Amino acid sequence: MRIREKVYLKLKSRRYKHNLATIFKNMKRHCVTILLVFLMTLSAVSGAWAQDVVVHPEVDKSDISRNALRAIFGMRLRKWSNGEPITVFVLRDDSPVHIEFSKTILHMFPYQLRRAWDRQVFSGTGQSPFLVNSLEEMRTKVASTPGAIGYIPREGVDEKLSVLKVR
Amino acid sequence: MKSLVSSKFVSPVALLEALVLVLCLGSFVPSVYGNLLPENTQIHGFASQGFILTSENQFFGDSQNGSFRFSELGLNTSIQFTPDFQFAAQALSRQAGPGDNGQIHLDFGFLDYKWISNESGALGMRLGRVKNPLGFYNDTRDVAFTRPSIFLPESIYFDRTRNLALSADGANLYAEYRTDAGSFFYELEIGYPDVDDRETVLSFIGDSNGVLDNQLSYITRLLFEKDGGQLRFGLSGALINIEFKSASSPSGDGMIRFRPLILSFQYNSERWNLTSEYALRYFKYRNVGQIGDFTKMGESIYLQGAYRITPQVEGFLRYDLLFQDRNDRNGAEFALHNPGRPAHTQFAKDWTAGLLWGMTDAWMTRVEYHYVDGTAWLPLLDNPLPSETKRYWNMFSILLSYRF
Repeated sequence: MRIREKVYLKLKSRRYKHNLATIFKNMKRHCVTILLVFLMTLSAVSGAWAQDVVVHPEVDKSDISRNALRAIFGMRLRKWSNGEPITVFVLRDDSPVHIEFSKTILHMFPYQLRRAWDRQVFSGTGQSPFLVNSLEEMRTKVASTPGAIGYIPREGVDEKLSVLKVR
Repeated sequence: MKSLVSSKFVSPVALLEALVLVLCLGSFVPSVYGNLLPENTQIHGFASQGFILTSENQFFGDSQNGSFRFSELGLNTSIQFTPDFQFAAQALSRQAGPGDNGQIHLDFGFLDYKWISNESGALGMRLGRVKNPLGFYNDTRDVAFTRPSIFLPESIYFDRTRNLALSADGANLYAEYRTDAGSFFYELEIGYPDVDDRETVLSFIGDSNGVLDNQLSYITRLLFEKDGGQLRFGLSGALINIEFKSASSPSGDGMIRFRPLILSFQYNSERWNLTSEYALRYFKYRNVGQIGDFTKMGESIYLQGAYRITPQVEGFLRYDLLFQDRNDRNGAEFALHNPGRPAHTQFAKDWTAGLLWGMTDAWMTRVEYHYVDGTAWLPLLDNPLPSETKRYWNMFSILLSYRF
């Protein structure tokens, strides 16, 4: 943030200092600066939004197919391959992390997940996932519930959680 | 007649009590979830109250003067004993004009066991009272949050014979198969559907003096979902067998065979979705009271587009067509042979536009407007004299719905 502010102030002061001709002369340098700022912002944003699928550290699995992951978060697949029950934790439907997780990892829209849960809950064919209210709660619940699965932004992953790679 | 009148006065009170109960449970249960309920047990419920206004004809009560006699209440529980063994049951109370008086009944209640369940699929069976797998919406047709509109497209999801379509006592065998190309969901249900409610009886045998007795029936559905449900295809069908027991002569028993076939299609994108379903409904009557012997093929189709204006607000437009007899679409021949029953009782062409506002995760409001040509799906108990129904009519409706 501070760097971005500095660059902005620099550009602004230059505009006042120099006349049009000098600005044209310095065009090339401006372009490079603007591009740099743009790229920095982009990487900062995408970094913040990259999600990881996390599981309880004792879940004996390092990768999973997107299909199986959809089945787990769709509450259709209820146990790991060793028979242990899966406990699914999700954030609210309108949470930006939940939306991003649905779209970029499951390749589904949040409303599709909601529909799938509602259909199962109200026809008796399944249950709904457990709702957590914050990323902190997600982290502690997944770390403390055997067989648990959830998702958090990449930079929040620590040794108390295992990351499940999506094939 | 007396029971009809009394139910009119008793049920709203009972419904109000039930509504309060559901709302109390709704605010109570989630707050104590972690403490009182075991982790493998869940309780969910819903409550909806509708208002209906029609220009002509009656729909769920005295709708020409504005009717509040449309409400739905449900409370369910599910217990997952192991990941492969679950119990689930739901109590439902529905008021819909004179056809449904709000009496609480068991909507479903079954044991669910999976022999196989892994990353590539599942194989299992449900035993008890199970929901009938028909089309996209039948399984949860009374839950406003799972419907695309206040009233499901009536051409396929009739309110007239809803009990018949609702659930059956028997077994439901199901299989899931997940591939990289998409997922397949198959269900085969064998059981006894409910045929003895008055609206169903009226729809099937009219004034004939007798009762309907359900026979072993079969319902099946195959769904294919691509990309987690962006594209969905469905094919469902049923062989429903009903015995007609004549009240006037014991030798006069007859048989009704009802064979619906439904094709379903849906496309979902982030902002909009497109849904269409087409149904052929084959009826075969043999020695059924005054109706006697006959066969006919009914036909239904709807096309519906919905657009999400904001994450909370969605609008939709639908055209819904129903023909009681595809060989007599305008009903002219029927009217000729059935004095007192106008041709417009044989079809319905319904333009519907509506809005949904999801106020919170738990609360939702819907409004919708129907412009209908024909009365083929108009409830018979609301409109006992077909000759007095009007061909062109408008319906406006509001629904407030809560769930937890």
